[in-house]
Amino acid sequence: MKKKRAPIWVWLIFILGMAYFFIPLLSTFEFSLRMVKGTYSFEAYRVAFSDPAFYKNFGYSLLWAMLTIIISSVMVVWTAYWVQLRMRRIRPVVEFVTLMPFVVPAVVLTFGLVRMYGRPPLLLTPTPIPLIAGYVVLSFPYMYRAVDAGLRGIDIHTLTEAAQSLGASWGTILFRVIFPNLRGAILSGVFLTFAIVMGEFTFASLLYWPAFGPYIEEIGSMRAYTPQALSLVSFMLTFLSISAIQWFGRGSREQQAQVAGAH
Amino acid sequence: MAFLEIQHASKNFGGETAAVKDFDLAIERGELVSFLGPSGCGKTTTLRMVAGFEQPTTGNIVLDGVDITNMPPSKRNVGMVFQAYALFPNMTVGDNVGFGLKVVKRPKEEIQARVHEMLSLIKMPELGTRYPYQLSGGQQQRVALARALAIKPQVLLLDEPLSALDAKIRVELRYEIRRIQQELGITTIYVTHDQEEALALSDRVVVMSAGRMEQVGKPWEIYNYPTTEFVAGFVGTLNQLRSRVVNATTGELDYHGQRFTVSGELPAGETVIAMLRPEQLSMGAHEGENQLTGELISLAFLGAIVRMGIRLGETIVTLDALNERRLALPKIGEPLTISFPPHAAWVMSAS
Repeated sequence: MKKKRAPIWVWLIFILGMAYFFIPLLSTFEFSLRMVKGTYSFEAYRVAFSDPAFYKNFGYSLLWAMLTIIISSVMVVWTAYWVQLRMRRIRPVVEFVTLMPFVVPAVVLTFGLVRMYGRPPLLLTPTPIPLIAGYVVLSFPYMYRAVDAGLRGIDIHTLTEAAQSLGASWGTILFRVIFPNLRGAILSGVFLTFAIVMGEFTFASLLYWPAFGPYIEEIGSMRAYTPQALSLVSFMLTFLSISAIQWFGRGSREQQAQVAGAH
Repeated sequence: MAFLEIQHASKNFGGETAAVKDFDLAIERGELVSFLGPSGCGKTTTLRMVAGFEQPTTGNIVLDGVDITNMPPSKRNVGMVFQAYALFPNMTVGDNVGFGLKVVKRPKEEIQARVHEMLSLIKMPELGTRYPYQLSGGQQQRVALARALAIKPQVLLLDEPLSALDAKIRVELRYEIRRIQQELGITTIYVTHDQEEALALSDRVVVMSAGRMEQVGKPWEIYNYPTTEFVAGFVGTLNQLRSRVVNATTGELDYHGQRFTVSGELPAGETVIAMLRPEQLSMGAHEGENQLTGELISLAFLGAIVRMGIRLGETIVTLDALNERRLALPKIGEPLTISFPPHAAWVMSAS
């Protein structure tokens, strides 16, 4: 059988797209190697990684990401499960609410948080609660969509009833049946959330908490080569997160295809 | 008092008509009762009330003397098998079967022994480490059955368990379910829209329509002595001849100018409907039997039987003849005389 070849213009558009994506990355990379005059070196990376402030800010961002992920995934999985199982009618409302960060800009959200929680009786700004809450809201569209798609892929109604008739409580159903079957979906939500929180600038900066985003910004206004190196590090994090989603997603999709095939 | 009693149960989902109206049935220990009816007749809703997934609007459900009407499904000792198998995709076959015992924290050895016992019962002792997606539909449904039985339920509920399977596996598994049910002597409710399935499996059949119980009886009673028009029409194929009463005492009727007699009492009225099963009719004119002549308009060779359609007055009468190698098939378009004994027909009032 002769394989049909794609027309030349398809390749042209593909190459243009790749160039648009990779040229700035490659230039940044090339630039970050030129810290020592006249030769390529990883000096900028050495400097970046030897700054104690880098570890402090990166560490804080990691902490924020972890807390966001835990709170967001428990909230979203439980909500999406319940909406799918018992309250299908309010699904459009929930979907709309989860899209809030796309509708309301981060700056506006942050100012809202500061106005509401910046003074008594709800003085919360000295704690990282508003920051985490903001990040949780930021993660909603990614987390909810991933989990909702996962829930649609399995017959949660019948699985829930099957578990109930076998004597399982709600907790058992959620942790032994629903969570394990949503592993791929939850993980993709988790990695997207991770990538977003690690690079986030507005919330951390305006609420005045140490984080990786403001740190890059701060270094950028003082140095030439190091911020390029840090940008690339940040990009690699995102890239690895997305690769992880692809990898985990592939496993569950294969399994689903086989389940579908067995019918 | 019977083992499982559904006492005047009704269910209204808030619409104008109730999904189930005054369902009243007593099921004996070890009995297999099937609920048969078209989709939307309330059979699944009734089953789900026994399982605890629906609460009856009025009425009670009493299991072994205990009122379980408002008990949540997880507290009832009831095993359920679903049409869609509903095996947990993240667990192996063994873990699926053992799930109900693990939930109530039985010791590991006990769970293992029970899983092994159940897998032998469904004749799949080697497949405990497989995952559901590695099994065929029929195998998955066997595992679902084993899982439901592993918790030693007081009642087994099956909701159209074979509807998603191929015809051949469906028949195979049907007898498998009956064998296991009788081996364990477990009280079972079987919901189906497939009349053949209900007749082949059940100790008793409940025929339902539009939320009501139409008739309850042994399979042969339902088939041979339907008490309502719906049951007569829904279970099996039925020829209905709207006839004029010629002589009520001898049972002589007139159908479009052709006379025939039926035995048994006639209902009141000038017009009645004579009911005839296709397999009670035979080709040709037989001495001492009723004879009707019409035109053969269709002929389908189905293997074991040959199904013919004969135009008789306003209706097309279906006749089933057992296949024989020497059978001479009549030609379409030719006149055909059919015979049946007077006792083969029964009569209902034409209301």
